[in-house]
Amino acid sequence: MIRKCLAVLAAIGLLSLPGTANAAEPGRKVVKVGVTQAVDSMNPFLAVRLVSGQLQRWTYAFLTVPDAKTLQPSPDLAESWTTSPDGLTWTFKIRTAKWSDGQPITADDAAWTFTKMMTDDAAKAGNGPAVENFASVTASGQDLTIKLKAPQASMLDIPVAIVPKHVWEKVPDIGKFEADQVPAVGSGPYVVTEYKKDQFVRLAANKDYWRGAPKIDELQMIFYDNPAASIVGLKKGDIDLIGRLAPPDFESLKGDDNLVQWNAEGRRATYLQVNHGATTSDNKPIGDGHPALKDPRVRQALHYAIDKQKLVDETQNGLARPADGSIIPPLYKSFFWEASGAEKITYNVAKANEILDAAGYKKGADGIRTMPDGSKKLQFRFSIHTDAPSEEKLAEYLTGWFKELGIQLTARRLDSSKFTEETGTTALFDIAISGWSVNPDPEEVLGTHLCSRRPTASGEGGGTESFYCDPQYETLYKQQQKELDRTKRADIIKKMEQRLYVDAPVIALYYPNDLEGYRKDRIASITPIPEDKGILYGGSGYWPFYTVEAVSQDAAAEDGGGSSTGLIAGIAGAVVVLALGGFVLARRRQGAADERE
Amino acid sequence: MTVVAEIDAAPAGHGLLRYAAAKAGGALLSIAMVVVATFFLFRMLPGDPVRALAQGRNMTPAQLDLERARLGLDKSIPEQFLHFVGQTLRFDLGTSYEYKRPVLDLIGERIGPTLLLTGTALVMAVSLGIWQGARAGWKPGSRFDRFSTAVSLVLWSVPTFWLGLLLLMVFAAGIGPIPGLFPTRGISSVDAPDGFGYVLDVAHHMVLPCLTLVAVVYAQYLLVMRSSVLDEVEQDYITTARAKGLKDDDIRRRHAVPNALLPTVTLVFMRIGFVVGGAVTVEAIFSWPGLGQLFYQAIRVPDFTLMQGTFLLITVSVILMNTLADVIYHVLDPRVRSV
Repeated sequence: MIRKCLAVLAAIGLLSLPGTANAAEPGRKVVKVGVTQAVDSMNPFLAVRLVSGQLQRWTYAFLTVPDAKTLQPSPDLAESWTTSPDGLTWTFKIRTAKWSDGQPITADDAAWTFTKMMTDDAAKAGNGPAVENFASVTASGQDLTIKLKAPQASMLDIPVAIVPKHVWEKVPDIGKFEADQVPAVGSGPYVVTEYKKDQFVRLAANKDYWRGAPKIDELQMIFYDNPAASIVGLKKGDIDLIGRLAPPDFESLKGDDNLVQWNAEGRRATYLQVNHGATTSDNKPIGDGHPALKDPRVRQALHYAIDKQKLVDETQNGLARPADGSIIPPLYKSFFWEASGAEKITYNVAKANEILDAAGYKKGADGIRTMPDGSKKLQFRFSIHTDAPSEEKLAEYLTGWFKELGIQLTARRLDSSKFTEETGTTALFDIAISGWSVNPDPEEVLGTHLCSRRPTASGEGGGTESFYCDPQYETLYKQQQKELDRTKRADIIKKMEQRLYVDAPVIALYYPNDLEGYRKDRIASITPIPEDKGILYGGSGYWPFYTVEAVSQDAAAEDGGGSSTGLIAGIAGAVVVLALGGFVLARRRQGAADERE
Repeated sequence: MTVVAEIDAAPAGHGLLRYAAAKAGGALLSIAMVVVATFFLFRMLPGDPVRALAQGRNMTPAQLDLERARLGLDKSIPEQFLHFVGQTLRFDLGTSYEYKRPVLDLIGERIGPTLLLTGTALVMAVSLGIWQGARAGWKPGSRFDRFSTAVSLVLWSVPTFWLGLLLLMVFAAGIGPIPGLFPTRGISSVDAPDGFGYVLDVAHHMVLPCLTLVAVVYAQYLLVMRSSVLDEVEQDYITTARAKGLKDDDIRRRHAVPNALLPTVTLVFMRIGFVVGGAVTVEAIFSWPGLGQLFYQAIRVPDFTLMQGTFLLITVSVILMNTLADVIYHVLDPRVRSV
């Protein structure tokens, strides 16, 4: 028994010795990106997760890619494009380049990709909405012609990876294809060379990439199931970069000289969704929203009672920007709108009370206001997610502020599927926390407040983020869809944001910052998107990881120190094992001696 | 005595067969009930899987309906149920909503790592628990008893997540003079070598998750073993053995422990059933690509077919192991036979 224990201890000591993994080839530049979301599918026709979208951008070319400086659509696989005067026919000139297996890329590849999505329901799973408006797609040499059913200004931000026809046309059933053979044939800056499900993806630089090969040899994407472990991995050097951090995790990186805390503008907006009289797509009331919230004056009063700066400081550790605009964050400069002058709503409880007094909501003996006809007290529910500490805090602050208005707010904690159902389909809520990550082209987020996105009476369909249905907003939406002039389109979109701000079906609270961390002893330089204070991981396009430069092995002399640390560790481990062994043996002898007596 | 034993011996073989058959029949019935319950249990969960899958994406009502049809959710509940039962009888667990792949394939990929981790941990926890429990029970109140019982109980009460993270921070990242000895995640390194090197690499990755799992569960084996050894200490046959002049260690090992093992055997078999369920928390902390993690992700969507599949697998294996424990008990303990 004792000997077995010793053997176990010795084994543990042995296992803690470093060097069980292959030492990296000298001079080979590798960057390891940690992610806390596993790839759902390597098949671009099926994948929906953000992590899979990043991989697609690294391994496949799209028609266009947001420009690194301005985020405007710029050439990727399409060198140039023209539009017919009616905006219905788009012709893209496909660049002369090669797939990673040496075959030429033609317009036929793109046409095949889009047509597959239009004709095969299984291929719609990942990105079906992108081709919803396509009437036909044809190819001739390097010319790709897309005919649309209706004008669509977002044509230059189609989030579809173009796949090689000669590989994919042999796939019998797209819906069942895993696309995990390596090396995968692609056209992006990297090629997938190894994929272990839920563990890691290895990508080699595509030496023949048409823009020129990346500056590193290998990019690794390494999965962590939980953020706390990934932070440990970053501090230890098991990974070199991790994005999408929550404020507390970000703060825990402080004080480490080897780490860079990346804090920039994010692509997300956080807002309150107000049940302002939810209706179904055939305009019948649905849900049990409080009648007072139908009154725009009440919604405005609520808006006045929110101290957004305080929320940022207390719930986001100050790592966000208070929102004086609407659903599009300031990262997207050309589309961002901010309230000014008399329209701007700033924290003012007195004014909020004035508005409610004037509107006839009188305070009762208990200090809580009632409807003007005295029928119902102003008691609202606030739907938040379970296990979301920052939302709990948010609820506390809102409850306090609304109390000063004579409005009672009660937090209602729901797990995420129940939350989605009650705030998106059945409308069983008064006020709910909400938010959306916005793409360089904001059409998607604008679409979430359209009449057509409301559910049917039986709860079918949907996609609304507010149950909003406003004639003015609908007209503006159609206008911006047709407007191909970017500046004019931006003006229309700003009017839509203004409408949302004033009418308040949603009340924007803050724009969370993009929080990331990376090791400066490993990453020499990395260019965010947009270049000026942008995002590293999770942004649009491939710029950051195409431009990333690793610290060369010669410069990182500490690496030698690393292995000697390992050696010391190993020796220390061995000493501990020996000491324990000796102790146990000594005890054993003593025990035997006791027995003999 | 001998006469009675001879009379009993003849039908014992038949008795065992009949007993095993009855137990197997009971197990089959339980499994059938589990299949039915599984279906309705997961249909009662709130939330629309299609809406959940579409969250954060802009999908038109028509596309949501298409997705619903793809998942078979447009059919009535009785129709869905019949389809489910038919499928299950053919050992087809359906296709995962989120991964869009057969559930059986997904389980197949994950079951290896899970069995490796939880199996190893079970063997270690049982050995440690039995060893310490036997010694502790042999000399109750001794320093060894007080120390080992206290340590095991403290570890038993510690939240798994907390202990795992603590081990991760201390032994994976390294604190102060303690260097980072172990990897922070997964089952193998990205650049793991082949052959024996790979085995070592996996073992290196397994140390911390295994240690966490063992630490939080071995107390139950220790306590059960301790109390049953305690029962044996006072028995006459122990006194007899002492009188024969046997060494104390030998009496414990050869006489007391075998007799005290029975309750522990039951406990071990019950736990083996749960081995396939993995250890959701430990897998999550150490990013271990196992079944527990798969189940956890499935709940979050909710991915009905994946949940059904993993849930069925876990319950069926628990039922099977319990049945097996019953049968083995029958063999091990004559007292069960006579009842």
